[in-house]
Amino acid sequence: MKPDESAPSSNSVEVSLPTDLSALAMLAQTIQDFGAAHALGEDLQGRLNLALDELITNSVSYALPEVAEPEMCLRLALAHGQVVAQIEDNGAEFDPFEEAPEPDTSLGLTERQIGGLGVFLAKQLTDSSTYERVGDRNRITLQIVIGGQHSDK
Amino acid sequence: MTSEHTLLVQTERSDKAIIVCPVGRVDGNNVKILENAIREQTEAGEQNLVFDLTDLNYISSAGLWVLLGTARRLQAEGGATRFCGLTEPIAHVFEISGFTDILAMYDSRGEALSSL
Repeated sequence: MKPDESAPSSNSVEVSLPTDLSALAMLAQTIQDFGAAHALGEDLQGRLNLALDELITNSVSYALPEVAEPEMCLRLALAHGQVVAQIEDNGAEFDPFEEAPEPDTSLGLTERQIGGLGVFLAKQLTDSSTYERVGDRNRITLQIVIGGQHSDK
Repeated sequence: MTSEHTLLVQTERSDKAIIVCPVGRVDGNNVKILENAIREQTEAGEQNLVFDLTDLNYISSAGLWVLLGTARRLQAEGGATRFCGLTEPIAHVFEISGFTDILAMYDSRGEALSSL
């Protein structure tokens, strides 16, 4: 029997994303549908959306332009009281958590540097964020505890 | 649905400033709509902008940079920016980003306008 990913009882969903910034609209819709199906709170949906948005934007901007036939997919799953989100792409090796500069959020208006803020937000808004190179693919895994007391790390 | 369709930028004129109200979501795919709306005002010579974010329910770093860049540019040119009406998710993102300390934040549009 084939698993039916569209069934409301399914605890996971996988979608193929466009490899340009239009992926962000599909991301928002996918999170909204998944959130509604599993009664996830608006705060959690918002954090998940923003964290994934920033990392997808990075992949589209830095990793995927390097390859001839770019591909990217998004997986969302519920497991052990957490939402686990994965983005996988076949772009050039790029670990955003290592390569993006850490922004100095204490700098004044005229000194603040562009860059690094998106990845910083993704880390701060999730409970865990990891990168792996799996074969010829980049895989980012984010976890958010459902109903957890989220602290700004 | 494309994200271009999820952002609308309304502007209103008051005697002290132009009030810019982004309605919906700002992400990397539609941030140009916000940039263009701001440019339209600054190119017309407006130097004071009040961003009323009451109806903004999502902003990514792409949008944050546009707001920061606008604040920086107007300050350098002798103008001013004010921010008000932040809902909780937007306030949270501003806080993590360190923006609440470097941008002029007000609870209401009235307070933002009377500070000018």
